[in-house]
Amino acid sequence: MKRAMVWASMLALGVGISTVAARAQDELPPPSPIEKTLAERAEHVTEVTLDKNMLAFAGKFMNKDKDDDKDEKEAKEMIQGLRGVYVRDYEFDKDNEYSAEELEGLRKYITTSDWSPMVHERTKGAKEGTDVYLKMINGQVQGLFVLDAEPRELSLVLILGPIDMDKIGALSGNFGIPKQAVKDVKKAQKEAGK
Amino acid sequence: MEHNELNEQELQEFERKLRTAMSRRAAPLGLKTRVLAQAHERRQGQRRRWWMIERIAATVLLAAAVGGFVEYRHLEEVRKGEAAKEQVLTALRITGRTMGRVQERLSEDR
Repeated sequence: MKRAMVWASMLALGVGISTVAARAQDELPPPSPIEKTLAERAEHVTEVTLDKNMLAFAGKFMNKDKDDDKDEKEAKEMIQGLRGVYVRDYEFDKDNEYSAEELEGLRKYITTSDWSPMVHERTKGAKEGTDVYLKMINGQVQGLFVLDAEPRELSLVLILGPIDMDKIGALSGNFGIPKQAVKDVKKAQKEAGK
Repeated sequence: MEHNELNEQELQEFERKLRTAMSRRAAPLGLKTRVLAQAHERRQGQRRRWWMIERIAATVLLAAAVGGFVEYRHLEEVRKGEAAKEQVLTALRITGRTMGRVQERLSEDR
Protein backbone atom coordinates (compact mmCIF):
# COMPACT_ATOMS: atom_id res chain seq x y z
CA MET A 1 0.00 0.00 0.00
CA LYS A 2 2.78 2.37 1.02
CA ARG A 3 4.78 1.44 -2.10
CA ALA A 4 1.77 2.10 -4.33
CA MET A 5 1.37 5.55 -2.81
CA VAL A 6 5.03 6.34 -3.41
CA TRP A 7 4.68 5.25 -7.06
CA ALA A 8 1.50 7.27 -7.48
CA SER A 9 3.11 10.42 -6.08
CA MET A 10 6.19 9.92 -8.30
CA LEU A 11 3.94 9.52 -11.33
CA ALA A 12 2.01 12.65 -10.42
CA LEU A 13 5.26 14.55 -9.98
CA GLY A 14 6.49 13.31 -13.37
CA VAL A 15 3.27 14.34 -15.07
CA GLY A 16 3.43 17.72 -13.35
CA ILE A 17 7.03 18.34 -14.41
CA SER A 18 6.37 17.32 -18.01
CA THR A 19 3.28 19.57 -18.15
CA VAL A 20 5.23 22.52 -16.77
CA ALA A 21 8.07 21.79 -19.21
CA ALA A 22 5.66 21.56 -22.15
CA ARG A 23 4.03 24.83 -21.13
CA ALA A 24 7.40 26.50 -20.66
CA GLN A 25 8.33 25.48 -24.21
CA ASP A 26 5.22 27.14 -25.57
CA GLU A 27 5.38 30.28 -23.54
CA LEU A 28 7.39 33.41 -24.02
CA PRO A 29 10.13 33.93 -21.46
CA PRO A 30 9.73 36.64 -18.85
CA PRO A 31 11.95 39.67 -19.54
CA SER A 32 15.58 39.06 -18.69
CA PRO A 33 17.15 41.34 -16.04
CA ILE A 34 19.78 42.24 -18.66
CA GLU A 35 17.08 43.87 -20.77
CA LYS A 36 16.31 46.30 -17.95
CA THR A 37 19.91 47.50 -17.73
CA LEU A 38 20.13 47.78 -21.52
CA ALA A 39 16.89 49.77 -21.61
CA GLU A 40 18.28 52.18 -19.01
CA ARG A 41 21.28 52.91 -21.23
CA ALA A 42 19.43 53.04 -24.53
CA GLU A 43 18.25 56.25 -26.11
CA HIS A 44 15.31 54.59 -27.77
CA VAL A 45 13.70 51.31 -26.78
CA THR A 46 11.08 49.26 -28.61
CA GLU A 47 9.60 46.34 -26.72
CA VAL A 48 6.94 44.11 -28.20
CA THR A 49 5.61 41.06 -26.37
CA LEU A 50 2.67 39.28 -27.91
CA ASP A 51 1.53 35.92 -26.65
CA LYS A 52 -0.70 33.47 -28.51
CA ASN A 53 -3.91 35.15 -27.37
CA MET A 54 -2.73 38.63 -28.24
CA LEU A 55 -1.61 37.47 -31.68
CA ALA A 56 -5.00 35.91 -32.32
CA PHE A 57 -6.70 39.09 -31.08
CA ALA A 58 -4.50 41.29 -33.30
CA GLY A 59 -5.22 38.97 -36.22
CA LYS A 60 -8.92 39.82 -35.96
CA PHE A 61 -8.13 43.46 -36.69
CA MET A 62 -5.82 42.81 -39.59
CA ASN A 63 -6.89 42.91 -43.19
CA LYS A 64 -10.53 43.46 -42.21
CA ASP A 65 -11.23 45.54 -45.27
CA LYS A 66 -10.27 44.74 -48.80
CA ASP A 67 -8.64 48.17 -48.96
CA ASP A 68 -6.11 47.25 -46.26
CA ASP A 69 -2.55 47.15 -47.47
CA LYS A 70 -0.68 44.05 -48.59
CA ASP A 71 1.61 44.13 -45.55
CA GLU A 72 -1.32 43.54 -43.24
CA LYS A 73 -2.59 40.61 -45.24
CA GLU A 74 0.81 38.97 -45.27
CA ALA A 75 1.41 39.75 -41.61
CA LYS A 76 -1.92 38.18 -40.72
CA GLU A 77 -1.04 35.01 -42.59
CA MET A 78 2.35 34.94 -40.96
CA ILE A 79 1.19 35.24 -37.37
CA GLN A 80 -1.45 32.55 -37.76
CA GLY A 81 -0.52 29.62 -35.54
CA LEU A 82 2.33 31.44 -33.81
CA ARG A 83 2.62 31.00 -30.06
CA GLY A 84 4.45 34.20 -29.33
CA VAL A 85 6.43 37.11 -30.66
CA TYR A 86 9.03 38.80 -28.47
CA VAL A 87 10.99 41.69 -29.94
CA ARG A 88 13.40 44.08 -28.27
CA ASP A 89 15.25 46.86 -30.04
CA TYR A 90 17.66 49.17 -28.24
CA GLU A 91 19.16 52.18 -29.96
CA PHE A 92 22.11 53.85 -28.25
CA ASP A 93 23.56 57.31 -28.76
CA LYS A 94 27.12 56.01 -28.35
CA ASP A 95 28.95 53.01 -29.80
CA ASN A 96 29.13 49.73 -27.90
CA GLU A 97 26.91 50.57 -24.98
CA TYR A 98 26.52 46.85 -24.29
CA SER A 99 29.07 44.28 -23.19
CA ALA A 100 29.95 40.88 -24.62
CA GLU A 101 28.79 39.35 -21.31
CA GLU A 102 25.37 40.92 -21.72
CA LEU A 103 25.05 39.48 -25.22
CA GLU A 104 26.12 36.07 -23.95
CA GLY A 105 23.67 36.40 -21.07
CA LEU A 106 20.81 37.17 -23.45
CA ARG A 107 21.73 34.26 -25.72
CA LYS A 108 21.87 31.83 -22.82
CA TYR A 109 18.66 33.19 -21.34
CA ILE A 110 16.62 32.55 -24.48
CA THR A 111 18.20 29.48 -26.02
CA THR A 112 17.79 26.21 -24.22
CA SER A 113 18.87 22.78 -25.47
CA ASP A 114 16.05 22.77 -28.07
CA TRP A 115 17.66 25.57 -30.01
CA SER A 116 20.22 24.92 -32.74
CA PRO A 117 22.64 27.65 -33.70
CA MET A 118 22.39 28.51 -37.37
CA VAL A 119 24.50 31.60 -37.63
CA HIS A 120 27.13 32.83 -35.21
CA GLU A 121 29.09 35.70 -36.61
CA ARG A 122 31.74 37.67 -34.75
CA THR A 123 34.70 39.85 -35.70
CA LYS A 124 37.70 39.57 -33.45
CA GLY A 125 38.00 42.53 -31.15
CA ALA A 126 34.55 43.86 -31.96
CA LYS A 127 31.47 43.48 -29.82
CA GLU A 128 29.13 43.49 -32.79
CA GLY A 129 27.91 40.21 -34.11
CA THR A 130 24.97 38.14 -35.16
CA ASP A 131 23.39 35.00 -33.83
CA VAL A 132 20.55 33.11 -35.41
CA TYR A 133 19.07 30.08 -33.66
CA LEU A 134 16.31 27.80 -34.83
CA LYS A 135 14.12 25.59 -32.73
CA MET A 136 13.60 22.41 -34.72
CA ILE A 137 11.00 19.85 -33.73
CA ASN A 138 10.52 16.87 -36.06
CA GLY A 139 12.20 18.73 -38.88
CA GLN A 140 9.84 21.68 -38.51
CA VAL A 141 10.93 25.15 -37.53
CA GLN A 142 9.13 25.86 -34.27
CA GLY A 143 11.06 28.91 -33.26
CA LEU A 144 13.40 31.59 -34.53
CA PHE A 145 15.76 33.60 -32.37
CA VAL A 146 17.88 36.39 -33.79
CA LEU A 147 20.29 38.50 -31.77
CA ASP A 148 21.89 41.20 -33.81
CA ALA A 149 24.37 43.57 -32.24
CA GLU A 150 25.35 46.65 -34.18
CA PRO A 151 27.60 49.40 -32.79
CA ARG A 152 24.61 51.55 -31.82
CA GLU A 153 21.76 49.12 -32.02
CA LEU A 154 20.91 45.83 -30.40
CA SER A 155 17.98 43.80 -31.69
CA LEU A 156 16.52 40.67 -30.24
CA VAL A 157 13.82 38.78 -32.08
CA LEU A 158 12.14 35.67 -30.74
CA ILE A 159 9.31 34.02 -32.63
CA LEU A 160 7.72 30.89 -31.20
CA GLY A 161 5.49 28.54 -33.13
CA PRO A 162 5.44 26.87 -36.52
CA ILE A 163 7.23 29.25 -38.84
CA ASP A 164 6.47 28.91 -42.51
CA MET A 165 9.60 30.04 -44.28
CA ASP A 166 7.59 30.58 -47.46
CA LYS A 167 5.47 33.11 -45.60
CA ILE A 168 8.61 34.81 -44.35
CA GLY A 169 9.70 34.79 -47.97
CA ALA A 170 6.44 36.45 -48.93
CA LEU A 171 7.31 39.29 -46.56
CA SER A 172 10.47 39.98 -48.51
CA GLY A 173 10.58 43.49 -49.77
CA ASN A 174 7.60 44.59 -47.72
CA PHE A 175 9.14 44.19 -44.30
CA GLY A 176 12.71 44.33 -45.49
CA ILE A 177 13.51 40.64 -45.18
CA PRO A 178 15.82 39.77 -48.05
CA LYS A 179 15.03 36.64 -50.02
CA GLN A 180 18.55 35.28 -49.52
CA ALA A 181 18.06 35.15 -45.73
CA VAL A 182 14.91 33.11 -46.23
CA LYS A 183 16.74 30.74 -48.56
CA ASP A 184 19.48 30.29 -45.96
CA VAL A 185 16.97 29.48 -43.24
CA LYS A 186 15.15 27.01 -45.51
CA LYS A 187 18.46 25.32 -46.31
CA ALA A 188 19.22 24.99 -42.61
CA GLN A 189 15.71 23.67 -42.05
CA LYS A 190 16.31 20.95 -44.65
CA GLU A 191 19.64 20.02 -43.13
CA ALA A 192 18.20 19.85 -39.65
CA GLY A 193 15.38 17.64 -40.91
CA LYS A 194 17.79 15.08 -42.35
CA MET B 1 -95.62 105.12 -3.34
CA GLU B 2 -97.13 102.19 -5.15
CA HIS B 3 -93.87 101.73 -6.72
CA ASN B 4 -92.22 101.42 -3.25
CA GLU B 5 -94.80 98.84 -2.07
CA LEU B 6 -94.18 96.73 -5.11
CA ASN B 7 -90.52 96.94 -4.46
CA GLU B 8 -91.04 95.78 -0.93
CA GLN B 9 -93.03 92.84 -2.20
CA GLU B 10 -90.36 92.01 -4.62
CA LEU B 11 -87.78 92.31 -1.89
CA GLN B 12 -89.74 89.98 0.32
CA GLU B 13 -90.05 87.50 -2.50
CA PHE B 14 -86.37 87.77 -3.11
CA GLU B 15 -85.61 87.23 0.58
CA ARG B 16 -87.86 84.18 0.62
CA LYS B 17 -86.14 82.70 -2.36
CA LEU B 18 -82.77 83.48 -0.86
CA ARG B 19 -83.74 81.90 2.43
CA THR B 20 -84.90 78.81 0.60
CA ALA B 21 -81.72 78.66 -1.40
CA MET B 22 -79.53 79.24 1.64
CA SER B 23 -81.40 76.85 3.84
CA ARG B 24 -79.47 73.80 4.93
CA ARG B 25 -80.40 70.76 2.92
CA ALA B 26 -79.17 67.24 3.27
CA ALA B 27 -76.80 66.06 0.52
CA PRO B 28 -78.19 63.45 -1.87
CA LEU B 29 -77.67 59.95 -0.72
CA GLY B 30 -74.23 58.53 -1.70
CA LEU B 31 -72.85 61.87 -2.88
CA LYS B 32 -69.95 61.80 -0.40
CA THR B 33 -68.99 58.27 -1.45
CA ARG B 34 -69.25 59.19 -5.11
CA VAL B 35 -67.13 62.33 -4.64
CA LEU B 36 -64.52 60.43 -2.60
CA ALA B 37 -64.46 57.59 -5.14
CA GLN B 38 -64.03 60.04 -7.97
CA ALA B 39 -61.21 61.86 -6.16
CA HIS B 40 -59.58 58.52 -5.38
CA GLU B 41 -59.87 57.45 -8.99
CA ARG B 42 -58.39 60.71 -10.17
CA ARG B 43 -55.47 60.30 -7.77
CA GLN B 44 -54.99 56.69 -8.89
CA GLY B 45 -55.04 57.76 -12.53
CA GLN B 46 -52.46 60.41 -11.87
CA ARG B 47 -50.35 57.92 -9.93
CA ARG B 48 -50.66 55.40 -12.79
CA ARG B 49 -49.60 58.03 -15.30
CA TRP B 50 -46.57 58.99 -13.18
CA TRP B 51 -45.69 55.34 -12.68
CA MET B 52 -45.83 54.85 -16.45
CA ILE B 53 -43.69 57.93 -17.09
CA GLU B 54 -41.23 56.79 -14.44
CA ARG B 55 -41.07 53.33 -15.99
CA ILE B 56 -40.52 54.71 -19.47
CA ALA B 57 -37.86 57.11 -18.20
CA ALA B 58 -36.14 54.31 -16.27
CA THR B 59 -36.24 52.04 -19.32
CA VAL B 60 -34.84 54.76 -21.56
CA LEU B 61 -32.12 55.50 -19.02
CA LEU B 62 -31.27 51.84 -18.61
CA ALA B 63 -31.22 51.27 -22.37
CA ALA B 64 -28.97 54.31 -22.80
CA ALA B 65 -26.66 53.09 -20.04
CA VAL B 66 -26.49 49.54 -21.47
CA GLY B 67 -26.04 50.89 -24.99
CA GLY B 68 -23.33 53.26 -23.83
CA PHE B 69 -21.54 50.49 -21.97
CA VAL B 70 -21.72 48.14 -24.97
CA GLU B 71 -20.48 50.88 -27.28
CA TYR B 72 -17.68 51.75 -24.83
CA ARG B 73 -16.64 48.09 -24.63
CA HIS B 74 -16.71 47.82 -28.41
CA LEU B 75 -14.62 50.97 -28.86
CA GLU B 76 -12.23 49.81 -26.16
CA GLU B 77 -11.85 46.45 -27.90
CA VAL B 78 -11.25 48.15 -31.26
CA ARG B 79 -8.66 50.42 -29.63
CA LYS B 80 -6.87 47.47 -28.04
CA GLY B 81 -7.08 45.47 -31.27
CA GLU B 82 -5.62 48.33 -33.30
CA ALA B 83 -2.84 48.72 -30.72
CA ALA B 84 -2.11 44.96 -30.89
CA LYS B 85 -2.09 45.14 -34.69
CA GLU B 86 0.37 48.02 -34.60
CA GLN B 87 2.55 46.00 -32.24
CA VAL B 88 2.54 43.03 -34.61
CA LEU B 89 3.48 45.26 -37.54
CA THR B 90 6.23 46.92 -35.47
CA ALA B 91 7.56 43.51 -34.43
CA LEU B 92 7.60 42.32 -38.03
CA ARG B 93 9.26 45.51 -39.21
CA ILE B 94 12.02 45.10 -36.61
CA THR B 95 12.32 41.41 -37.54
CA GLY B 96 12.61 42.33 -41.21
CA ARG B 97 15.18 45.02 -40.50
CA THR B 98 17.20 42.70 -38.26
CA MET B 99 17.12 39.90 -40.81
CA GLY B 100 18.20 42.39 -43.44
CA ARG B 101 21.18 43.42 -41.36
CA VAL B 102 22.06 39.77 -40.69
CA GLN B 103 21.95 39.06 -44.38
CA GLU B 104 24.04 42.11 -45.15
CA ARG B 105 26.64 41.05 -42.60
CA LEU B 106 26.70 37.50 -43.95
CA SER B 107 27.04 38.60 -47.55
CA GLU B 108 29.92 40.89 -46.56
CA ASP B 109 31.68 37.86 -45.08
CA ARG B 110 31.20 35.71 -48.17
